[in-house]
Amino acid sequence: MNKHVTNLAPETTDLSRRSFLVGTAATGLVLGYAASGVDHALAAPAPANFEPSVWYSIAPDGLVTVTCGKADMGQHVASTMAQIVAEELGASWKDMRVQLASNDPKFNDPVLGAQITGGSWSTMMNFDAMSRAGAAGRIALTEAAAASMGVPASELVVRASTISHPKSKKSMSFADVVKSGKATKTFTADDLKAIKLKSPDQYTMIGVSVPQLDIPLKVNGTAKYGIDVMLPGMVYGALVTPPIRYGATVKSVDDSAAKKVPGFIKAVTLDDKTTTTTGWVVAVANTYAQAKKAAEALKISYDGGPNAKLSSDALFAEAKRLQGLSDSGEFFVKDGDPNAAFGAAAKVLEAEYTTNINIHAPMEPMNATAEFKGDILHIYSGNQFATRSGAIAAGAAGIDPKFVVMHQMWLGGGFGRRLDADMMVPAVQAAKAVGKPVKVIYTRENDMTMDFSRPLTYQKVKAGVDGDGKLVALSHDVVSAWPTQRWGIPDFLSPSVDKKGPLDAFTVNGSDFFYTVPNHYVRAIKNEMAHNATPSGQLRSVAPGWTFWAVESMVDEIAHATGKDPAQLRVELLDGKGKNDGGAQRLRNTLLAAMGLAGYGTKKLPKGEGMGVACVSSQERATASWTACVAHVAVAPSGEVTVKKLTVATDVGTQVNPDGIRAQVEGAALWGMSLALFEKATLKDGGIEQTNFDSYTPLRMSQLPEVAVNVIANGEKATGVGEPAVTVVAPAIGNAVFNAVGARVRGLPITAEAVKAAMKA
Amino acid sequence: MPNLNINGRNMSVEAASDTPLLWVIREQLQMTGTKFGCGAGLCGACTVHLNGEAVRSCQTSLADAVGKKITTIEGLSAKGEHPLQKAWVAEQVPQCGYCQSGQIMQAAALLSKNTNPTKEEVVAHMDGNLCRCMTYSRIQKAIMRAASDMRTASATGSERRAT
Repeated sequence: MNKHVTNLAPETTDLSRRSFLVGTAATGLVLGYAASGVDHALAAPAPANFEPSVWYSIAPDGLVTVTCGKADMGQHVASTMAQIVAEELGASWKDMRVQLASNDPKFNDPVLGAQITGGSWSTMMNFDAMSRAGAAGRIALTEAAAASMGVPASELVVRASTISHPKSKKSMSFADVVKSGKATKTFTADDLKAIKLKSPDQYTMIGVSVPQLDIPLKVNGTAKYGIDVMLPGMVYGALVTPPIRYGATVKSVDDSAAKKVPGFIKAVTLDDKTTTTTGWVVAVANTYAQAKKAAEALKISYDGGPNAKLSSDALFAEAKRLQGLSDSGEFFVKDGDPNAAFGAAAKVLEAEYTTNINIHAPMEPMNATAEFKGDILHIYSGNQFATRSGAIAAGAAGIDPKFVVMHQMWLGGGFGRRLDADMMVPAVQAAKAVGKPVKVIYTRENDMTMDFSRPLTYQKVKAGVDGDGKLVALSHDVVSAWPTQRWGIPDFLSPSVDKKGPLDAFTVNGSDFFYTVPNHYVRAIKNEMAHNATPSGQLRSVAPGWTFWAVESMVDEIAHATGKDPAQLRVELLDGKGKNDGGAQRLRNTLLAAMGLAGYGTKKLPKGEGMGVACVSSQERATASWTACVAHVAVAPSGEVTVKKLTVATDVGTQVNPDGIRAQVEGAALWGMSLALFEKATLKDGGIEQTNFDSYTPLRMSQLPEVAVNVIANGEKATGVGEPAVTVVAPAIGNAVFNAVGARVRGLPITAEAVKAAMKA
Repeated sequence: MPNLNINGRNMSVEAASDTPLLWVIREQLQMTGTKFGCGAGLCGACTVHLNGEAVRSCQTSLADAVGKKITTIEGLSAKGEHPLQKAWVAEQVPQCGYCQSGQIMQAAALLSKNTNPTKEEVVAHMDGNLCRCMTYSRIQKAIMRAASDMRTASATGSERRAT
C-alpha cells in the first residue's frame, strides 16, 4: 500500500507530511520578491489595490490579478487558478489577469508547503484554497458595498464583477468598491476555514470552457519564457558538457583557440558542490553566437570517471541480477503470501517488462539567467520546483538560500524536466566569475545528453491463477534508478511496508492498483548502477508510465492464458472489495465508458488490426484520475504498428475547464503513444547516444492518430489531468498489437523489429 | 554593419556575417517571439519568412538574409490579427506555446499560396515542426479554420470589387 499519501478527501491533510522547507526565506526579510512573467501592461497597478488574499489583488479599475504559485508549462494552471478564484469571487472572466509568483514562501502550495509543480496535483491541492480566497474577497467587497449603499449585506447579489441590491436597484462594480477604499476586511486562517463555499449546482464559472488567459500571449510572440530574459549588461554562456552523462571530471581546459573568438570573456569550469553536474565548462562571451563558437573552440580533457564504460545493456544486466536476489529492495505492497499461493495455483505466468531511457526534450532548451545584486542572487528561469532550485542556486553560489530570489517565467514545456535545477549551476557560477548577469542556454545536444531522464526500468511479474481462472497471486519487482531519492528530501520518500527503510514510491506508484488480488507483493529495487550513471528525473506521469506497462500487459496475458476477454477480466478484478471500494468501481465505469465509445468487441476488424484495452489509476493511488484507453491498431507484415485511433475516457471528478482538460488528456495520450512507439534513448560508453531530434524522435503531425477524449465529471473532487493519460496508452497499444497479430511485445518502445520477432515466436 | 529589412523596417546589426539569423533577431533586435529549439533545422521553432518563404532562422546566416524581406511572428500582422493568429485563439491551440510562433509562421507560408489546402497538404507542410505538447490536431483545425476565413474574406473582397 502506498502509505505516503492516503485518501485526499476531505481536507488533504494526509499529504502534509510532505510539507517541508528547503531554502525558504526567513520571515520578515525583505528580498524584493517580485512576480514576473506577466504582461505588465495587463497587470494591476500597485497603489490602492484591494488584496483580500496573497493569491490575488483587485485594482481600482476592477481588474483582478491572480498570482499563480504553480509553474505554468502549458497546462494553463494559472488560468485554472484564476477560474477557481473567479467562481467564488463573482468576477467576470474578462476582468481576470494572471501573474507568476516568485519563490516567496507565502506563495507555497497550501498542501505541499513548497513551490513544486508536478504529480498532476495542482488543481486538486489548490482548489479549496483558491475557492476560499475568492469567497473571502466576495464577502469583503459585499460588506463594503453594503455599508456604502446602506443596505444589509445579506440582500446583495454578486455577479459579473458587480454587486447589486435588487430591492433598491442600487449596484456597485468591484471597481467602485475598491476605489471607495472601504474594502478592508481581513481573514484569519480560521475565518477562511469557516466560509461556506458554493455547492457545485451553484457554479457558473467552474465547468465552463473559458478562454485560457495565457493563449493570446502565445500567438503573437509576447509571452516571455526564461530564454527570453534580457538584463542590462547581460552576457551569455554556452555549455560544454562531457561525453559521459555523470561522473566525469575536467582535467584541463585549453582556451587558446577560444581566446581568438571575438567577444569571448572567459571559460568557467564548474565547481559544483551540489553534485548536480559533473565536468561542465561554460564559455562566456558577449553574445550567444560568440559563446557557442568559443565553446566549440575549447579543448577540454576529461577523466571519464566510474561510469565511463557503462551501457544500457549493462544497466539491464545489473537490474536482472538485483531482481534475482531474494533480499533486494523494499516492499511497497505486501498483502497475503504470493509465494505460498503460487505453489497452490493451477497456472503460473511469469514475464519481464522493460522500458528504455526516455528524454524530456521540452521545446525550450534548458536555460537560466543569474544576476548578483548586492547580497541577493536573482535567478530568471522557468522552473517547476522553485523551492529546491533556489537552494541549488544558493549552493552553487556558496550563499544562504534565503538570499535567492527566483523570478518565474512561462515554461516552454516542463514535463518534469524543469523540476531539476542543473541549469542554475552554470548560470550562477558564470555570473559570479565574470561579475555580470549571465544567461546560459543549453544547446539541444546539451539538453538531450544531460537530461534527468525517465530511468531505464526492468520489471518481473509473476501471476498465479487458480482452477477457476481467478487471479490469486501477483508478485511484481520493479528495478530502476530512484529519481526522487536523488533530490535528497526525506519527506518525498515513503516508509517501506517491511520497515527496511524509506523507498522511492515514485518508482512504484501504480503497482498498488485497484484490482482485487488477495496475495500481492511489490518490491521497489534501486538500481544503484543506473542511479549513478544516468541520474534520473520525473518524466510526465513518472512511475505509472512503467508500472502500468507491466501490470496492464500482464493482466492481458492472464486473460489470454485463461481464455477470458481482457476487458471482462478487468471488470471482474475491479470488484471493489475491501480497500479497493470506491476506486475500483470508478475505474470499472471508466473502462466500460471507453469500451462503449470505442465500439470494443462490436465489430470484426480486418486482418492485421486489433483493439486493446488498459485502465489505470494514475498518478498515485490517493490522487488517481480514473483513466481507460482502447487502442485500435493496424500491424503490417513488417511488424510496423500504425495507431488508427485512441479512445480515452477519464473520470476527473469535477472539471474546471473542460476544453483545457481535453487538451491535456489528448496531449498526455499522444505522449503515451510517442513513448510507446517512437522514443528511445540509449547509454553507450557512459554517454547518451541521442543528441537531437534526428535520433530522438517524438511523434510528429504525420503520425497523429484519431484521438477521442471523453471526460467523466461525476461531481467528486477535482483530480489531475496532466499526466494520467500518458500511462494508459502503451499497454493499450501493446495489447492491441497482440490482438491484431498475436505478437506479445514486453519492451518499450514497441519497434517493428520487436513485433516481427514476436510474430515469428 | 549589415542592414536587415525586418518586418518592414531597415535595421543595422552588428554581428559576424556567419551568425545565425536566429540569434541576431533574438539578441540584437530583442525580438524574442522567434524561438531556439534545436539549432539544426529539425524542429521548426525558429521559423521566419525570407521573401515570403518559411525558413529555419537557425540555419540561415546573417549574410543570407541581407537584402531579403524578413518577417517574424511580431511582424506577421500589425495587431496580431492574422487569420492564423485568430484561429489559434479560437481553437485554443497553444499549451506551453513555445513552438507556436514557428508553427504559425510555417502555416502562414502555406496559406499565402494556397487558401484551400487538403489535410494531406497541411500535414506535409507542417511535419517538420515539432510540438512537444502534441497540439497537432488543434494546429490542423486552426489552419483549416484560418484558410476558410481567408477564402471567405477574399470572396467578400472580390464581390465588393465586382460591384
